[in-house]
Amino acid sequence: MIKKFVKEALSGKIDIVAHALKCLEQAEKINQEYHYITEWADVETQAKKLAEQLKNGTAKGKLFGVMVTVKDGICVKGVETHASSAILKGYKPLFNSTVVQRCIDEGAIILGKTVQDEFGFGGFAVNVGKGFQKPLNPVDKKRATGGSSGGAAGAAALFDFPHIALGESTGGSIVNPAALCGVVGICPTYGRVSRYGLLDYSNSLDKIGPLAKTVEDAALGLEVISGHDSHDSTTSDQAVPGYTDVPGVVQGLRIGIVKEAFGETINNDVRKAVLEAVHKLEQHGARKIEISLPYGMTYGIPTYFLLSTAEASTNLAKYCGMRYGAEEQLTGVYNDYFARVRSNNFGDEAKRRILLGTFARMAGQRDAFYTKAAQVRTKIIEEYEQAFKQVDVLITPTVPMASPTFEEIKKLTPVQCYAIDQITVAPNLAGLPHMSVPCGKTGNLPIGMMIIAPHFNEQKIIQVANAWTHQ
Amino acid sequence: MDTPIVIGLEVHVQLKTQTKLFCSCPTFATEPNTSICPTCLGHPGSKPVINEKALEFGAKLSIALGCKIAPHIQFARKVYFYPDLVKNYQITQQDDPLGRDGQIVLDDGKVIRIERCHLEEDPGSLIREANAVLADYNRSGIPLCEIVTKPDMTSPAEAREFLKKLMNILGYLGIFDQDICIIKADANVSIKEKNYTRVEIKNITGFKEIERALNYEVERQKVQDVKLETRGWDDVKGITYSMRSKEEAADYGYIVEPDLPTFHIDTQWIKNVQSQIPELAHARAARWIKEWKIDPVDANVIATDIEVADLFEQIAKKVNPITASHWVRREVLRLMNDNKQTLKQTQFNSEGLTEVLELYEHKKITNKIAQNIIRELANKKFSPKAFVKENKLETVADEGALEVLCKKVITEQPKAVEDYKKGEEKSLMFLIGQVMKHTKGTASPQIVRELLISILK
Amino acid sequence: MDVTPELVKKVATNARLVLTPDEIKRFQKELSEMFEKFAILQQANTKNTKPSFHPIDIKNVTRKDEIGKCLDREEALSLTKHRTDKYFKGPKVI
Repeated sequence: MIKKFVKEALSGKIDIVAHALKCLEQAEKINQEYHYITEWADVETQAKKLAEQLKNGTAKGKLFGVMVTVKDGICVKGVETHASSAILKGYKPLFNSTVVQRCIDEGAIILGKTVQDEFGFGGFAVNVGKGFQKPLNPVDKKRATGGSSGGAAGAAALFDFPHIALGESTGGSIVNPAALCGVVGICPTYGRVSRYGLLDYSNSLDKIGPLAKTVEDAALGLEVISGHDSHDSTTSDQAVPGYTDVPGVVQGLRIGIVKEAFGETINNDVRKAVLEAVHKLEQHGARKIEISLPYGMTYGIPTYFLLSTAEASTNLAKYCGMRYGAEEQLTGVYNDYFARVRSNNFGDEAKRRILLGTFARMAGQRDAFYTKAAQVRTKIIEEYEQAFKQVDVLITPTVPMASPTFEEIKKLTPVQCYAIDQITVAPNLAGLPHMSVPCGKTGNLPIGMMIIAPHFNEQKIIQVANAWTHQ
Repeated sequence: MDTPIVIGLEVHVQLKTQTKLFCSCPTFATEPNTSICPTCLGHPGSKPVINEKALEFGAKLSIALGCKIAPHIQFARKVYFYPDLVKNYQITQQDDPLGRDGQIVLDDGKVIRIERCHLEEDPGSLIREANAVLADYNRSGIPLCEIVTKPDMTSPAEAREFLKKLMNILGYLGIFDQDICIIKADANVSIKEKNYTRVEIKNITGFKEIERALNYEVERQKVQDVKLETRGWDDVKGITYSMRSKEEAADYGYIVEPDLPTFHIDTQWIKNVQSQIPELAHARAARWIKEWKIDPVDANVIATDIEVADLFEQIAKKVNPITASHWVRREVLRLMNDNKQTLKQTQFNSEGLTEVLELYEHKKITNKIAQNIIRELANKKFSPKAFVKENKLETVADEGALEVLCKKVITEQPKAVEDYKKGEEKSLMFLIGQVMKHTKGTASPQIVRELLISILK
Repeated sequence: MDVTPELVKKVATNARLVLTPDEIKRFQKELSEMFEKFAILQQANTKNTKPSFHPIDIKNVTRKDEIGKCLDREEALSLTKHRTDKYFKGPKVI
C-alpha cells in the first residue's frame, strides 16, 4: 500500500496537509476507545514542511507523506518519551533516535508515541506505568494486544491509512503483539538497526523493528531504518540489501519445524493453523524437516529473564529524580531521595524485574545466575547454528495462544505471565531475525506464525512471508 | 607481614585526550555544564562510543609500567548511586583490564608491584551546600587510567617516591598534562600495632595532598581506634573523616558493558604503541652514566624532566657531557626552580646554551661570565658569542695587564693583604674577587690567583 | 535458593527501592516462585562454555579523538526544576 501512496504523494497528486490532518483525526478517534497513543507529535507542522518541499521541487524519500508511530521508549525530539513509565513523565528528549531521524529524512510524518509495557516489562501490554492506560485488542476490547509493543501493533491493525509502526523487541515484543493483533511484525538481527535513542531495557537483547498491515510495508520500514550508525557501537557495518523486492518463491527451501514449539502447552487451534500454513508452503515446493532445539526451548525463559533483568536493573539506575523526568522536593539525603522517587514512580513489574536483576548480579550470586545464563546463551546460539546447517528457515507458532482476556491475565502469577514468551525468547537471545505473519484465526482472534532465519538473513524471512501471503 | 606500616594505592590519572572517553565533548571547559551532551549526561537512549586515543594512551602507560597487555579487553558497569554519577553506574573495567603485573622500582631498588591498569570514566563534580548539592558535569566522562598497586609501600615517603616516579613516566609519555590533568588516589593504610586493620581513604586529589593524607592517617591510626572503614580526606582541615563502615561495603553488582564491543588487541597494535614510547628516565640516566660517566645524582635529576633531558642531550652533542651536565643541573634547573617555571616557560634553547658552554670549555669566558650569560638566556634568546664580543667579556689572560691590576688591588686593600699574610685563605679569595670586579669578571681567576700569590710572597 | 524477607529488603536497598511490608511479602512470594522455576537452569551443561555477552561477535569499534557538538547548557538545564542558572541541583550528600 505504502509504495503506491508514496509515488502518488511525490507526484503532487495528494494534498499532504489535508491528508495528514485526516489521518490524525482518525487516529485520535480510534485512540479514545483503544488507547494506543500516549503523546501526539505536531503533525500539521511536519505536513506543511512536506508541502513546501513539493512546491519547490525538493520532495523526496521512500516514506514521503507516510505516517509513522513510534513506540514510547524510542526518543522523538521534543515529544514526551516515557517508555510508558511515570518516572519519565514530562521528559522531552533533546535528540531524535537514529531510526526516527532516518524516517524523517525519508519524508515520513511522525504521528505520535505508542503505549507499551513500562520499559518493555511484559508480554501483554497490561503492565503500563502509573497514569497510563493499557491498549485494547483491535478485534476484541476485552482482550490484550500482546506486548510489550502493544500500542504499535494495535495501531498497525486499526489505522486505515499508510502507516508504519516502529516497535521494539527484547524477548519477543514485536512479534508477540503482531500475532495477537493480526499484523506483520519484523524483528531484525541484533545490530541491523541502531539502538541510539532507544530507552534501554536490555542492551544485548533490544532491537527496533517495524509493524504494519502487509509484509511489503513492514519490509519497506525495515529498509529505511536499517544500517550502520556511528552513534551505536553494536551496529553492523554490513550493507543493507533491498527488502522490498524479494520474490515469494519457496521452491527447494528447507523449512525447519521446531519440535518443542508444537507441544502440549500450545493451543490446538494455533498449532493446527501453523502446521497447515507450512503444509501449504510445501505444496509450493518447500521441504519440511523436523528440528529439535532442546536448549533454547528448555532453558530459554530462565536464561532470558536472568540476563535481561540483570542488564535492565543497571539501565534503570539512572532514573532517580535528578536532571530530568519525575522529581520531588529535594528533602533527605541522596539515597533516601533517590529511593523515594523511584519507589513512588516505578510500577510493580518494574520493581520486580529490578529486584530479580539486581539479585542476579550481586556478589556471590553472579556466577550461578548472570554468568551461567550467559553461558547457556552461548549454547543456544550454537544450537541454532547447527540447525541452520540443515535448514534455511525455522517456523513455529509466534505465541502459544490467541489473545487472552484481561480477566484471565489478572489470575496469573508473574512467572505464569512469562510463559507467553516461551517460544520467542530463544531467537531473541540469539539475536536472530524473526518475523510474525497472520496465518489463521481461532474464532475471530488472530493467530501468528513465526519465521526465523540466520543472522543478517532478513531477506529469507521476507521471502517466506511473501510466499505465504501471496499463495 | 611484619612492617610497621602497609600502604597500597589506587591512582587515577586523567589522560590528555581532546575529547572524553565515550563522547566527543572536549575535556576542557571554563564554564560549568558547558562540555555536556546526551551521552555524558546519561540521557535515556544515549550510547557510549570509545575514544581510540584513550585506548592508545592507556596501553602506552600500561606498557611503560611493565604490564602485560590483555589480548581481549572488556568494559563493565560498576553500579552505585551518587549525584555526580549521571547513569548511577560507572563504565570501568572489571574482569578484563587493559594491563596486569607491572612494577615501578624505587631508587633504593625496592619494587612496588602494580597489580593492574585499566580505563574508566570520571564522574562529574559536586559543590556541597547545606541542603543540596550543585552538580557540574564537565568532568563527567573524562578518561582516566587507574593504576592499582599491591600493598607494597611501607611509608608515606615510599608512596611519595612511587608517585613521583609515576608522574615522571607520565611526563615522558606525553599523555598527562600537569597543568590541566588531574591525578587522584584512593589509599589503603594499615599499621602493625592496630593489627593491620585496613582503612581506605577515598578520592584524594593532587600529588601533594596524597602525601599529606597518608602522613595524617598513619599518625591518626597510632592514637585513635581503628576500624575497617572508608574515610574521606578534607584538604582544608587536613584530616581524614569517616564515610562508611567497610562491612556495609557497596555491592557494585558488576556486569559486562553491553553497549560496547569486546576489544581484541593484536600484537601489531601493541608493537606500534610500544614503538611510540620514548626511552624512559631511568633507562636514559643509566645510559648517560654508562656511556658518558655522568654523576648518577646529576643524571637522575636531569632525566626526570623529559624536556630538560632532551635539551641536555642536544648540548652534549657538542660540549663535553660531564661539563654540560654540571651546568644544566646547577644553573639551568636551578633558575627554573627559583622562578617556578617549566623549561617551555623560559627562553632557554639548545643553540644558546651550547654556544655559551663552548665558549666556557675553550676558556674564552670565565665561570662567572658563563653564569651571568646563562641567567640572561633564561629570559631572552641571543647569541652568547656576539654578546661576549660586543661587551668585551672575553677572558683576560694577559699576565702583564693582570699584574698591574693585582698590584692596584693590593694597594687598595691593605687589611686583606695583612690577613692573608697572617694565614687567612679567605682573604686571598677576597683579593681575587676584587680583581674580578675590576675586570667585570673576565679575568682568568687561576691566573689572578697565581699572580697574587707570587706578588705577595 | 531461599528468598527471605531480609533478602528482599537487602536487594531492594541495593537498588534504591523502598518497599512497604505488603510489597515485601508479595515480592518474596513471587520471587520465590520465579527462582523455583528458574532452578532448571542449573541443569544445563555449560562445561568449558564461554559466556556470550552479545549475540553477535562485535569487535573494536572506536571513534577518533575529535571534538563534536555539545548541548546548550540552558537546554539541558531546562529539563528539570532542580537547577540554578549554571548548575544541576541534587539531594544533599553527607
